[in-house]
Amino acid sequence: MSNYLKVVIILLLGSAQPSLALASLRPASPGMSATQIANRAEESLRGDQTVIQAQMTVRSPRLTQPRMIEFTSWDDRLGKRSFTRMEAPAKDKGTGFLKVHPNLWMYIPRVERTVRIPPSMMLQSWMGSDLTNDDLVRESSQTDDYDHRLLGIEDTVKNHPDREAYVVEYIPHEDTPVVWGKIIAWIDTERDVTLRQEFYDEDDVLIRTMQYQEIQPVEKRWVSHLWILTPEQKEGHETQVRIKRIEFDAEIDDTVFTKRNLKKGLR
Amino acid sequence: MNSLEFRLAWRSLGRNPRRTGLTLAATSFAMMLVVNMTGLSNGSHEEMVENGVRMASGHLSLMAPDHLEERTLEQPLAWTQSLRTHLESVPDIKGFAPRMDAFALVSHEESAQGMLIRGSDPTRENTVSEIEDRLTTGRFLRQGESREIVLGQKGAQTLGVELGDQVLLYGMAYSLESAYELFTVVGLVRFPDAELERTLAFISLEDAQAFFVYADRVTEVAILAEDSYQVEDLQNRLTQTLSDGDLRVHTWQEVVPELDQIIAIDKGGMYLILLLLTVVVGFGILNTILMAVLERKREFGILLALGLKPSKIFKVVYLESLLLAGVGIVIGLAISIPMVLYLQAHPIPITGNAAEGISQLNIEVSITSKFRASNPIRSTLIMMGVAVVAAFYPALKASRGQPIDVVQNA
Repeated sequence: MSNYLKVVIILLLGSAQPSLALASLRPASPGMSATQIANRAEESLRGDQTVIQAQMTVRSPRLTQPRMIEFTSWDDRLGKRSFTRMEAPAKDKGTGFLKVHPNLWMYIPRVERTVRIPPSMMLQSWMGSDLTNDDLVRESSQTDDYDHRLLGIEDTVKNHPDREAYVVEYIPHEDTPVVWGKIIAWIDTERDVTLRQEFYDEDDVLIRTMQYQEIQPVEKRWVSHLWILTPEQKEGHETQVRIKRIEFDAEIDDTVFTKRNLKKGLR
Repeated sequence: MNSLEFRLAWRSLGRNPRRTGLTLAATSFAMMLVVNMTGLSNGSHEEMVENGVRMASGHLSLMAPDHLEERTLEQPLAWTQSLRTHLESVPDIKGFAPRMDAFALVSHEESAQGMLIRGSDPTRENTVSEIEDRLTTGRFLRQGESREIVLGQKGAQTLGVELGDQVLLYGMAYSLESAYELFTVVGLVRFPDAELERTLAFISLEDAQAFFVYADRVTEVAILAEDSYQVEDLQNRLTQTLSDGDLRVHTWQEVVPELDQIIAIDKGGMYLILLLLTVVVGFGILNTILMAVLERKREFGILLALGLKPSKIFKVVYLESLLLAGVGIVIGLAISIPMVLYLQAHPIPITGNAAEGISQLNIEVSITSKFRASNPIRSTLIMMGVAVVAAFYPALKASRGQPIDVVQNA
């Protein structure tokens, strides 16, 4: 059957999704709403208070060897604040990022300077990776700032052939200063964990893909331990985040999210 | 030239000095307007080009292939001694400056501003951008000094810094490492473009190459031609002599097409006004000559009765108008060319509120003119063309008279 014919049939069936004209997509039975699915996915990734220790690997045609970065991040979802401390490489050791909504500060111990990062820098690369400052601070909440639409269920996901997933489209509210035109997420129907995300700009051009691999259970949740981010238009670029330790519902002291803590560097 | 027609035409011009004088005045005044307008517009366009171009790319810009489209550090240009020697040897190059442009966050205490950091060779930058003339306080970068920065006045205001303060530059090096360094503000500059003044900063090329880990490479070399009218010729010559495949020579029109478009729009407006002016002048000439012909119906009737052929009368009237136009043009040129040359040598600066408004349009704040031989030559041809067309109808009218009617009706 030609692709054209497929498209015509899908159109006739009344469930056309031009960007997802896949034969395997079937309509979801009514039950959970798209927003509920999105909420559960968000909760499976972030507890109310989460501590993550991770290692980031950046590949680029500029580099002969991948660049390795290590950091620990404390996230207080309800307080809309987070704190990240670099542990490697040596040059960046002790550099800290403090976000207390809506501000983002950075502290560089070597020059003993605190910098407030302006909103215009949110799309800049974070530590030379394909992640942006916006990714780091999650300035935009994927549940609060977006409308959700359930596109259907896919029996098999590209990077997880054995998993079945809800396909949810995230469309930003008009008045939110969000970076993306839309995000399409594949969320495991049984495990609530996000398996894959595609980020599109306002012209519906695919900008980057995030694949969530190595999904293992942690404290009653299914958690991806390897995130692979691939920018579409930059050949040879790739950023991997490997989760070394993740602790949900951690009790994080308020003093963590202070400028004083930021300036401590690595004790 | 000493034919009967010419003598007749010459005499009848002298017969009514007031009529002739008025037409002459109209023609020469129109000529003055046309020449001065074109001169002024050339002047302001050239200033726009010069200013825009000096700060942006130079008249010509050497870049690695694809850099024009991508504008990232990924397309480096090797800044070699042989390239430098070559540029020095090419005639008609007034100045050239290697530059390493990259983005970084500049911060001071609680304020921060993303800026375009221009790594420039302190000994060469001035030959293209004349940056030293734009200094308001302090000095420009100095060879041998390091970790110095020159900011735009507005950029410094945004950051709240003064001369001698330290600012932190934070960015991403070519090696994807984070790059940070403290720089001391040594000078502040003014630019015609407010946005540029807020977001452009200069550090030395060596500092920039170390900061962004860029070895001895640059992102572009800006070249200033002796004469902006030679740019394309120079581009061809450079392309031929530098054609080793990993280098492109772009004109400023390719690098800053916005500037080219603004000028094109402005020129379009000027040509429209010139067209209207030409039409008005055409009708003026037509009117005076037609009136003159109608006044002299009797004269032409007598001439016809005396046996002068209608074709000769046509020639006489035609000659009259061409003489009028010719003399008018010469007078117009004699007055306007010195005016254009004077304004070219002595630009009139605009100050006060008007200057503030104009400076936001990235236009230099002065009234100036530019003399190009092509301008008066073209204007002369156009005005003569107008005279040739406008005189046709009155001449025809004069030659068509019936001797008997005119003598009777007179």
